[in-house]
Amino acid sequence: MCFLIRTLQLGKTKTPSYAEAFTVKAMMKNSIVKGPKKAGAFKERPAKPSLFRIFYDRGDLPVAVRPEPTGNKISWKVDIVRFDYSHLLPIFFDGLSETTMPYEFFARQGIHDLLDNAGPEILHVIPHIILPIRKVLNTRNRQVIRTTLKILQHLIVAHDGIGEALVPYYPQILPVLNLLKNMNVNLGDGIDYGQQKRENIGNLILESWRQWRYTEENTLSTALYNDQT
Amino acid sequence: MSDQDAVALNSEVKPKSMIRAKLWSDEIENLYRFQTAGYRDEVEYKHVKQVDLVERWPESGFVKKLQRKDNTFYYYNKLRECDDKEVHKVKIYAY
Repeated sequence: MCFLIRTLQLGKTKTPSYAEAFTVKAMMKNSIVKGPKKAGAFKERPAKPSLFRIFYDRGDLPVAVRPEPTGNKISWKVDIVRFDYSHLLPIFFDGLSETTMPYEFFARQGIHDLLDNAGPEILHVIPHIILPIRKVLNTRNRQVIRTTLKILQHLIVAHDGIGEALVPYYPQILPVLNLLKNMNVNLGDGIDYGQQKRENIGNLILESWRQWRYTEENTLSTALYNDQT
Repeated sequence: MSDQDAVALNSEVKPKSMIRAKLWSDEIENLYRFQTAGYRDEVEYKHVKQVDLVERWPESGFVKKLQRKDNTFYYYNKLRECDDKEVHKVKIYAY
């Protein structure tokens, strides 16, 4: 009996209607105002297949993977010193947007190898790699951003004057980093195990920014010193 | 290059004995790099590739670039690559 009464009561209740904010319907008694839609600022934006993938699939890149007991290693079919960096480095940076093996591995490890062996000619390549970097950061894929930040840190120390050469291109790079800089974990006194693996994006951004500021200040103080002498 | 190495380089390179590494050192690190590239050590590398010098990192003195026997290139970091768990795999040859 009691159950029957309750079902009858429930049957009488009106179902609330949802309304958009700032509409006439929103002012009605029985309506519930819906919140705003998600802007999707942090949503991943998958990139199209990269130039790197096209070139690699076509066999244009002189790289091969060689499995070693300690992990995979790149074996270069040609000496890196002979490469035209202005042609090759933008392609490798474009490949950072890839998330699948072997493209992701080749792009990441290939850039590290190229930067290690880079000479002063890398300063002329900086304008060419800004667009791929921007494209890669705009994917907003967490793993891709982590890898890109580590590579940017390597890029800064690859040769003298790169920090200074990057300054005009900050408007291309920094907006996405500004968006993600608070992506940190507040654990109180807990342990963030990603910290030692350098996986925390907020920390990585802060680390990179400090490094950039340091190189900038160094170049600025050197320039001032040169002006004075 | 020591006299022992020079003798080994001139004659046909054949080691007389081999022991495993126990502890990491700069020398072991370089041997590890040569052995990942498919050579026993610097002596064999110089003998096979007919080079006088091996490219090294100026800061650490570790091997920077090696050409494998199939003429592909391996590039190495300026920092340590041979982990402690890999040290016992390194072979030290005596000539």
